[in-house]
Amino acid sequence: MDTNQVNDLILMHRGAEADLYLTQVGPWKAVLKRRIEKKYRQKYLDAWIRKERTTKEATMLGEARKAGVRTPTLLRLDSEESSLTMSLIPGKLARDRLDIMKPKAGEDLFQDLGQQIGKLHRKGIVHGDLTTSNLIISEENTAYMIDFGLASSSIEAEDRAVDLHLLRRSIATSHSFGVEKWFKALSKGYTDSLGHRDSASVYRKASEIARRGRYFAIR
Amino acid sequence: MLCLGIESTAHTFGASLVDDQGHVLSDVNDKYRPPIGQGIHPRKAAQHHADVAASVVGKALAVKDNGPLLPDTIAFSAGPGLGPCLRVGATVARTLALYYDKPLVPVHHGVAHLDLAMLGSGFSDPLAVLVSGGHTAIAVHIRKNWRIYGETQDITLGNLIDMFARSSGLPSPGGPTLEQEARKGNKLLKLPYTVKGNDVAYSGLLTAAVRMLQKGESLQDACYSVQEVGFAMLAEAVERSLVQTRKNELLLAGGVAANNRLKEMLQQVANEHDASFHAAELSKSGDCGLQIAWSGQLAYRSGITVKPSESHVVPRWRIDEAEVPWIPIR
Repeated sequence: MDTNQVNDLILMHRGAEADLYLTQVGPWKAVLKRRIEKKYRQKYLDAWIRKERTTKEATMLGEARKAGVRTPTLLRLDSEESSLTMSLIPGKLARDRLDIMKPKAGEDLFQDLGQQIGKLHRKGIVHGDLTTSNLIISEENTAYMIDFGLASSSIEAEDRAVDLHLLRRSIATSHSFGVEKWFKALSKGYTDSLGHRDSASVYRKASEIARRGRYFAIR
Repeated sequence: MLCLGIESTAHTFGASLVDDQGHVLSDVNDKYRPPIGQGIHPRKAAQHHADVAASVVGKALAVKDNGPLLPDTIAFSAGPGLGPCLRVGATVARTLALYYDKPLVPVHHGVAHLDLAMLGSGFSDPLAVLVSGGHTAIAVHIRKNWRIYGETQDITLGNLIDMFARSSGLPSPGGPTLEQEARKGNKLLKLPYTVKGNDVAYSGLLTAAVRMLQKGESLQDACYSVQEVGFAMLAEAVERSLVQTRKNELLLAGGVAANNRLKEMLQQVANEHDASFHAAELSKSGDCGLQIAWSGQLAYRSGITVKPSESHVVPRWRIDEAEVPWIPIR
């Protein structure tokens, strides 16, 4: 089995910063993610950002998996090409799935997701871009976190709170109902996983961040 | 149906007459300019506004030779903005409304930026990017409000530019000079690039850029780098939002929309994703009476008026808390 061989690229999805291709690595179906050149960015800045994020993503994917968080498995990294190859997670993006989800299934999903986020944070990692576009809901109704390009090592309540804040806002701006209940379920899972003391300070920061946006809109 | 709009949120005192089709009969603006190295002093700006108010409003109404035109409604910038400045505009508007017995219409300054840009664009359902001294926000219109999709987590893009300009001895507002100097720079200084999801943060970039100047980097290279890094951050957040919302129109409004490099970047983002792009025209991107007059027309048409006795100013009026029922729901 030659895991260095990546062939038969089929374009699956064009994201904001990367193209995703369906491919095969050895016996596994896999996804090749290539960060594409952004013409609006100055050349050196662009090259630096793409390389930095790709390497970061590879490291963080590995760390998250070690912490027991459900993510794709990293199969291959090519930092010069700004690309990495991961195992394919069959399922749908949360943004496309949530609107047709039954309330109870939604609550189960979010409570479990809360635990997953708690595990990630306990390991000292924050995702940095936790939105419904970066969550895959698998066929077994469990959430997988993807896209760790903006992830970083941190145990600061502030950084952890950004994860919760971004997720909440992305649910609130794209999905009109269920938000409060789902978030309650998520908080329950998160508190269970991270513990009362640590999670309480994260919730405090999260509401502070929401307020901060509010008060900075002057003029 | 004529609306007189009065702008008085920050450095500009403006008055404009516009009809219900969006035809501009007048747009008269007078800017308070702080001394080099200083920002806007709210009380001094308010004093300036009070000094020029009568002549600005007089000129805005004097569009015919045979005496001033009387507006049918009077709109004013009720917020957000600097309290002392807002109160000058509100006082003038209330006085006119009471004297002529005309309806008084409160306008949100940021919403008004978007309304004026919308008028020029012909767009119906854009992803809107509002960049000024008071706002750095990426918004979509849902039901009766603009909803924030991404924004700055600390200072605005306008703040970044003005504060950087101020600390490097450029005149205020710093935008035009910064852009000129940036064209002469070509060395990219290493500045923090902070994108958090659809949000950006600029205060670290400001501190680092000022420090680079102190360390002896040239003004030109510093201006160039502030633009390249600061705008690329916003462009990336906009691109993410565009992909997530799947909108096919991209609208740029607010004072910083005058910057050609920013326009160029967002045009490229729009091209990448087959979206149309429109930036507010130069004469309509900065603060002006016209934005208030046009937004006032739209608000009045939707039945929004306020009694003079209850017409308080709201210095920290958030854009997603302003009702905007005049944009059709899809």
